Amino acid sequence: MAALAIKCQDVHIEYLIRGHRRGIRDTLRGAKPHERTVHAVRGVDLEIERGESVGIIGPNGSGKSTLLRSIAGLLPATRGNVLVSSMPALLGVNAVLRPRLTGRRNIMIGLLAQGVSMAEAEQQAPGIVEFAELDEFIDLPMATYSSGMRARLHFAIATAVTPDILLIDEALAVGDKWFKERSAQRLEQHRANAGTIVLVSHNLGEIERSCSRVVWLERGKIVQMGPTSEVIASYEAS
Amino acid sequence: MTDATPAADELFSASRVEPLGTYLRSLWQRRDYIIQAPLNELRVEQANTVLGNVWLILNPALQVGVYFLVFGLIIDARRGVDDYIVFLTIGVFTFFFSQRVILKCAGSIQQSVGLIRAMRFPRAVLPLGTIVGGVIAFVPAFGVMLVVTLSYGNLPTLRWLTLPGIFAIQVIFTAGAGFLVARMNHLYGDLENTLPFVFRLFFYLSGVLYSVDRYVEDETFRRLFAFNPFYDYLSMWRWALLDIETSSTVWIGGTVWAVVAIVGGFSVFRAAEGNYGRAS
Repeated sequence: MAALAIKCQDVHIEYLIRGHRRGIRDTLRGAKPHERTVHAVRGVDLEIERGESVGIIGPNGSGKSTLLRSIAGLLPATRGNVLVSSMPALLGVNAVLRPRLTGRRNIMIGLLAQGVSMAEAEQQAPGIVEFAELDEFIDLPMATYSSGMRARLHFAIATAVTPDILLIDEALAVGDKWFKERSAQRLEQHRANAGTIVLVSHNLGEIERSCSRVVWLERGKIVQMGPTSEVIASYEAS
Repeated sequence: MTDATPAADELFSASRVEPLGTYLRSLWQRRDYIIQAPLNELRVEQANTVLGNVWLILNPALQVGVYFLVFGLIIDARRGVDDYIVFLTIGVFTFFFSQRVILKCAGSIQQSVGLIRAMRFPRAVLPLGTIVGGVIAFVPAFGVMLVVTLSYGNLPTLRWLTLPGIFAIQVIFTAGAGFLVARMNHLYGDLENTLPFVFRLFFYLSGVLYSVDRYVEDETFRRLFAFNPFYDYLSMWRWALLDIETSSTVWIGGTVWAVVAIVGGFSVFRAAEGNYGRAS
């Protein structure tokens, strides 16, 4: 058995939603704020090996993104353990790095924040510019980008540093066909270098292309886990 | 496990907080970011103004103008001060340095929430970048301050050699306060509404506009001023540039404040390291 990259042991994640902010009058009266605990993930056990590419599917609100955020270390588990072999990078669809800076400067900032030195970053930047294929937009502020362009740039930056574990939350869905092919290629490459990928997507075709194993989540629990074709077949039948 | 893989031993909790040594080392590894990010920020900050970064000097200069008009000419607060305009310039420029940086630190987490959610890096680089940016932005203002001082016939003395040290102490204090408000403002967004008034109060309590030694006659009451870090730093600057004597409590107070602020502020900030990416 190969070494593990991610291990989830009976992971539960709850968070609090406040209906609306508690008003000063309610506070004075001592009234409890209108709160609801959402039990988003309820006891997930999952082991992912290095070099594996795993897809997570399930209906909206099934806890996919929450689980991913917790693997990324952004949301501590309420109960259970989330263990990783190295710090993962999370690619989300809404990621805006620095909206007022140009794409090119965002590339530099993104690389430097990940601990790349200035000299290395200057070396890597042209490759990223090329991969993102933003043409003249690369020198315009990121605030002017379409969601697809943002995703492209973000994907290019995050995969340039190649973290061992890459978590992708619907980030490729907004790209056009051409970019989807290129990003799938890069993921393939990443996996070949023993990198680990976890992909959350509603696009089953994308999951079939990139993942060898699939986890089907529903209401925060694993319904089925196994080879891609099997799980997708029963997911579609449900 | 079928074979003897050490897999389980190599794994660590995804939400762990790194030990202090590792944390500081990864901060050091990102020193290029800490310098480049604020430089980029300075480039776009005044993008929609005609004068651009000239505002970094013009803003405090205009403040000095307003205060000189009101407190120098209309209400005569010059009592016991020879070069009131120099006195005022030093006060306003150095006070607003700290104010500007601390206020910016308060928003430094919210401003970078996209970066935080996308990448793992020690979050302290964000306020640190803001602080470095503040120092860079202060350089031209510092030049203006020296020119104003010189042009009123205050020639350099040996005391000028202490200027880098005085600035360093003030920067350390400011950084500590910046870390503290960065965490607090992430917890309670109300802080951003409150801070301007806190600074207003300190502005009047620190003798930016008047000589505390002349206006506060009660001896014990005057000693209390040394507990105000802003007053301490202002007195140091004026001691160095204008030969205005000050008590030793100012030096002790200012140094103690700097140490307490940086140790306390940094610890408080780091304690919430894992939470800054949370939607709030």
